[in-house]
Amino acid sequence: MASTIVAFELGGREVEVMVKPMTTLQSALRDQLGFTATKEGCRQGGCGSCTVLVNDEPMLSCLLPVEDVAGQRVTTLESLTPTQGLHPLQQAFLDANAFQCGYCTPGMTMLAQALLDHNPAPDRGDITQALTGNICRCTGYGPIVRAIEVAAQAMHAGEEGQPR
Amino acid sequence: MTVRSYFLPRSLPEAIGLLETHGPELLVMAGGTVAMPLINDGISLPGAVMGLRRAGLDTLEVAGGTLRIGAAATLTQLLAQPAVPMLREAARNTASWSIRNMGTVGGNLFTPPPGGDVAVALLALDAGVTLAGPRGERVLPLADFFTGFLSNQLAADELLVEIQVPIRSDPTLFIKFGRKHANTPAVVTVAMRLEWDGNVVADARIALGAVGPHPIRAREAERLVVGTSLSADTIAVAAAAAAQGCEPFTDAIATEWYRRRMTGLFVSRALEQLAQGAEGEGR
Ligand SMILES: Cc1cc2nc3c(=O)[nH]c(=O)nc-3n(C[C@H](O)[C@H](O)[C@H](O)COP(=O)(O)OP(=O)(O)OC[C@H]3O[C@@H](n4cnc5c(N)ncnc54)[C@H](O)[C@@H]3O)c2cc1C
Ligand code: FES
Ligand code: FES
Repeated sequence: MASTIVAFELGGREVEVMVKPMTTLQSALRDQLGFTATKEGCRQGGCGSCTVLVNDEPMLSCLLPVEDVAGQRVTTLESLTPTQGLHPLQQAFLDANAFQCGYCTPGMTMLAQALLDHNPAPDRGDITQALTGNICRCTGYGPIVRAIEVAAQAMHAGEEGQPR
Repeated sequence: MTVRSYFLPRSLPEAIGLLETHGPELLVMAGGTVAMPLINDGISLPGAVMGLRRAGLDTLEVAGGTLRIGAAATLTQLLAQPAVPMLREAARNTASWSIRNMGTVGGNLFTPPPGGDVAVALLALDAGVTLAGPRGERVLPLADFFTGFLSNQLAADELLVEIQVPIRSDPTLFIKFGRKHANTPAVVTVAMRLEWDGNVVADARIALGAVGPHPIRAREAERLVVGTSLSADTIAVAAAAAAQGCEPFTDAIATEWYRRRMTGLFVSRALEQLAQGAEGEGR
């Protein structure tokens, strides 16, 4: 059971972890790097609470051996959060009361970020389609979908240099 | 976790070499969306695992009227290709965005029912599969690949490397019926392709998922529609034959009884839609 060193980019920084074979990215993030925004729900691919971006595409860190992301670019909620204040998605989630326990929120936020990267002006259908793999057990999806709509508008307006 | 070694081969020869060295003890994993949940739960306890993400098996290209899909091409790649619309439809109806970014087309052929939605479409499209091992490569029709529940023609020292799909303009239809609109296990999946000669069905492929030990062809129903113009009577008889001939099971999603009923219903709906489409085109 020899451990190996795996290096990858995490939120713009080069990180290295020493791992046993097939340690999941989820476990490396949470248990070794202390990046605990990425949650551990089912470890079955069924809940989306562990969603991270690998090279800007959403993936489930519970199903991903960390060896598979060697040399790749990983983005988690920690790196989305600005040093001061909140990311427009975080602000919109807060304003829309889009979380109660908050367990699904990091995964929802990362997926929403990926959606807005692909499609800056998604309609309701695009949002619900994108979210089908992310489960919220307490808030309900209405506020979450609304928060993403509001964030999309805010980010769009921001890009066009208009006041929010 | 008990995994002692994890290999990420950089080429097909390297991957086959690893299989030869380690034999059946080596678990092959592509996207990991089926294998990893079992490992995480301790249901599967492999000593050694080989991941295929770096093995160069993820290409997807059109060559000589054939769509060639590398076994490790993702479902997201399948969703993006324009050559075979039914495969896009099948990918769109499989799992969720993140799973499609990870799960592979090849892996879908090994997914037990009610999974295997893409495999159902591939069956209706007369896909072929290439298996490679130390003795070289062999190609066989997908219809001959499946041999039973979780069993197939792949030898212990072989890998699935490619799936070939002939590109045709025949009308096709893919219907996945589940309990939810999206990201849902199938009650039944129906994939159909009809070849027309004027207003007569010259050949038919009716493939079914989630109602057998693996994706199956409804051969009796196919036989009943060939040579007809798909009258309402023909459709009723063929749908009944498909329902009769499948081997559904009961799970948390649906009962055997319900799956059989829905098989008849959705085969009938698919045939009706394809018959109407043919009329619309003035056949
Ligand atoms: C939440 C969730 C929802 C899902 N929804 C659906 C759905 O709606 N429809 C559906 O069809 N599936 C669904 N799946 C199942 C799965 O995601 C897909 O079937 C996917 O295509 C499997 O591919 P994979 O590469 O991830 O398989 P893996 O887990 O990598 O492979 C599974 C097994 O197949 C074999 N294998 C894979 N590739 C090869 C190869 N090239 N050569 C030899 N052997 C190989 C190995 O034995 C391997 O252990 C779902 C899964 C999850 C977790
Ligand atoms: S913890 Fe990864 S999908 Fe649930
Ligand atoms: S806020 Fe509790 S699960 Fe979504």
